[in-house]
Amino acid sequence: MEATHRTEWTLLATPLVAFLLVCLGFPAVVNLVYSVSQISFATLRQPEITGFGNFVAVVSDTAFWRANWFSLRFGLLTALLECLFGLGLAVFLAPLFKERSWPIAILMLPLMVAPALMGLMYRLVLHEFAGPVPHYLWAWFGDSPAFLGPNSAFWTLTAVETLQWTPFAFLLFHMAYQAIPTELREAAALDGATGLARFWRIELPLMLPTAVAALLIRFIDGFRVFDNVYVLTGSGAGGSTTSLSIYIYEAFFKQGAIGKAVAASVILFAASFAVLYGLNRLARRRRR
Amino acid sequence: MLATIRWTVFVLAAFAMNFPLIVTLATSFKSAREISTNPGLWVQAPTLSNYLTVLQVSDRLNIFLYLANSFAVAALGTLLAVALALPAAYAIARGRLGEKTLLPLIVNLRAVPLVIFAIPIYMMFQFLGLLDTRFGLGLVLTIVNIPLVLIILVNAIADVPYELDEAAMIDGVSRTGILFRILAPVCRPAIVTSLIFGFITAWNEFLFGLMLTTSKAVPVTVGASFFFAASGGGVQWGVAAAVMMVGALPPMLLGLFMYRKISGTMMAGAVKG
Repeated sequence: MEATHRTEWTLLATPLVAFLLVCLGFPAVVNLVYSVSQISFATLRQPEITGFGNFVAVVSDTAFWRANWFSLRFGLLTALLECLFGLGLAVFLAPLFKERSWPIAILMLPLMVAPALMGLMYRLVLHEFAGPVPHYLWAWFGDSPAFLGPNSAFWTLTAVETLQWTPFAFLLFHMAYQAIPTELREAAALDGATGLARFWRIELPLMLPTAVAALLIRFIDGFRVFDNVYVLTGSGAGGSTTSLSIYIYEAFFKQGAIGKAVAASVILFAASFAVLYGLNRLARRRRR
Repeated sequence: MLATIRWTVFVLAAFAMNFPLIVTLATSFKSAREISTNPGLWVQAPTLSNYLTVLQVSDRLNIFLYLANSFAVAALGTLLAVALALPAAYAIARGRLGEKTLLPLIVNLRAVPLVIFAIPIYMMFQFLGLLDTRFGLGLVLTIVNIPLVLIILVNAIADVPYELDEAAMIDGVSRTGILFRILAPVCRPAIVTSLIFGFITAWNEFLFGLMLTTSKAVPVTVGASFFFAASGGGVQWGVAAAVMMVGALPPMLLGLFMYRKISGTMMAGAVKG
């Protein structure tokens, strides 16, 4: 009886598992094999296993480490800024959403726009002749920086990413804030806790799990950023805005360095697997 | 007084975050001459000529093709994801199958940079003749959608009282019968949410669209950038702005239509992810 049930359940999950095995499992194996092979577009189907040369090439490539550094910095900074602004807006504007929800719709509109299109829109916004930002800066201050130049590109991209994804953090904090029971706030008020004390001592600790989740999700998305950076600055002047995703993309499509691109993929794969595995174990131990 | 400050902060934040949309919308109604003399936010002489230019089909630029491609790949990538995930979600929620490994493994896919699969998928598609086809891109978007769709559906089925299943089993309904005749109708709101959410995600995808398509199956996120270099000389900003508005509108409308559900979905995704 138990065994037949088990088969039935397994059959139901089989299509999904089979699909993922073919579409992701097979590519993962290809990645592993190609990463230790001598490979070019001419020998695509007969990889010749030669050892770890590709990995050596990647690890000794300064551009690879620079891309890692860009992704790490970009992911940390944008995640932090988005969560700070999102938390601030969710708490400070909370009274506005009590009787109406349309303001939320306006705030979350940027989330619906493709990051690639958002990036293209900023090309217009920041354009020195057609863009309003330089236009108003010239009119009001008589000067406008080169937003996408080598010195400011990183900060411009950080602002672009933060402005688009702050609504995501805002929504999570908004939900968490609404979920705090009113009795708790009233009890704290009765005990004489002021608004600020209530926030630090009661509301913020209650929203801590949300804060961790929001930071983590935003960091991951920032770390693997591609779309908006690619359309705005590409790899940037001298590779200054090459994220890890852009590094892999360009190694493959622009330089045709398949072995290097695949080896970098495998390193990224192993790193994200290790991080996720660690986080999951941590979360499981917490729950116990 | 405090209320006024709150509204002011809200307006400022909404303005800052939606600024590119406002600028693009304004620019799309300006003539080329007005853009060169007036880059500000105010439109002096609104015109529809940019939109008319966009809608003209040429050999290199075909907005209808891009929109049709985006629609087709997003529809396939969403429907297939739900079709694959629904039975699996049933097995996970009711049969306790793979709760410890399968579910976390798939859910964590959301956090893996998908670019690492890009190169082998490209080579696999080249071998199978799936490059630059709607079917191929739709398959990849299915992978992108599966994790979140699966979380939504597992949560939805787990929320249905088990007594419903038991009553049906006593009446002799088979397992698949329970799934399709009882659970699926009860979970319809969650299925609709996952469909809309998946559609928006797939429509907005860019990396795989850029890599796996070149002409026949180009989605609008990639096709929009073609208009930037359309006329040989400088960028026609009015036309580019009109294209971006057209490409951004469908997911925006869908999102506005169901924004109340979206925040709940994101919460579910965040808690499980």
